[in-house]
Amino acid sequence: MTQPGEFTYRRVHRASRELLFDCLTQPEHLTRFWGPDGTTTPVEGITVDLRPGGVFETVMVNVADGSSYRMREVYREVRRPDLLVWTEPDVEGGMTTTITLTELGDGQTEVITHQTNVPPMMARPEARRGFETSLRRFADYTDRLTAS
Amino acid sequence: MKATASERAADLLTATFAALADPTRRAILTRLSAGGATVNQLAEPFALTQQAISKHIKVLERAGLVSRSRAAQARPCRLEPARLEAAADWIDRHRQLWQERYNRLDEHLAELRAGGAGERPEGTAS
Repeated sequence: MTQPGEFTYRRVHRASRELLFDCLTQPEHLTRFWGPDGTTTPVEGITVDLRPGGVFETVMVNVADGSSYRMREVYREVRRPDLLVWTEPDVEGGMTTTITLTELGDGQTEVITHQTNVPPMMARPEARRGFETSLRRFADYTDRLTAS
Repeated sequence: MKATASERAADLLTATFAALADPTRRAILTRLSAGGATVNQLAEPFALTQQAISKHIKVLERAGLVSRSRAAQARPCRLEPARLEAAADWIDRHRQLWQERYNRLDEHLAELRAGGAGERPEGTAS
């Protein structure tokens, strides 16, 4: 069970663990998807020093206004093809991301992304939505947590 | 050492998540979304003592999700929706980021399967 304040996201992809691990750790793959939507992640701005203590850096460029945002992480554990752990030392307290890859057979791989100490910067309630909607979303979220 | 503003915000969010991570407390919030109620009224649908319900309400109060009137003797509870919305917004935005990222990864994987790896110059899909 995930502790309150942590974050878990589960996906199943149609690819081997090895390929998915490489996608998550090789600049020529990362540049294709690292995103967020509305940004590009140029390959020349990506640094991957794939070892514990090594740097993982990306620069995301906003397509609309050209502004860029640099993310700097440090690998903690690197175990191809099933485990990848990094922390973001610039974030207060050090946000940690753990990615676990599990083979499901039939060419499918489960990818679980687990984060701890995620900063609540995004918590501002700009949009006022109905209470019931909020509660439903929260129930969906906790259901997903207990399911994973 | 004094807590910074962002540490306090993180603590509040943690308290909100902890309070929401219990089905009885979520049921209490759902009941309160229909209007204010006393502890007695809130205890009715549950097979729980009034003390147990009071405890849950205290947790919700500390998390800023519920407030209690000091005017009336029965001290009716009221929903404070802002904190819940903050928590739900946080979850939504954070999940969306990873969802978009892995959606693009799926597109990239499909391209690799189709044999078009490295051919196209664009770095993002929207």
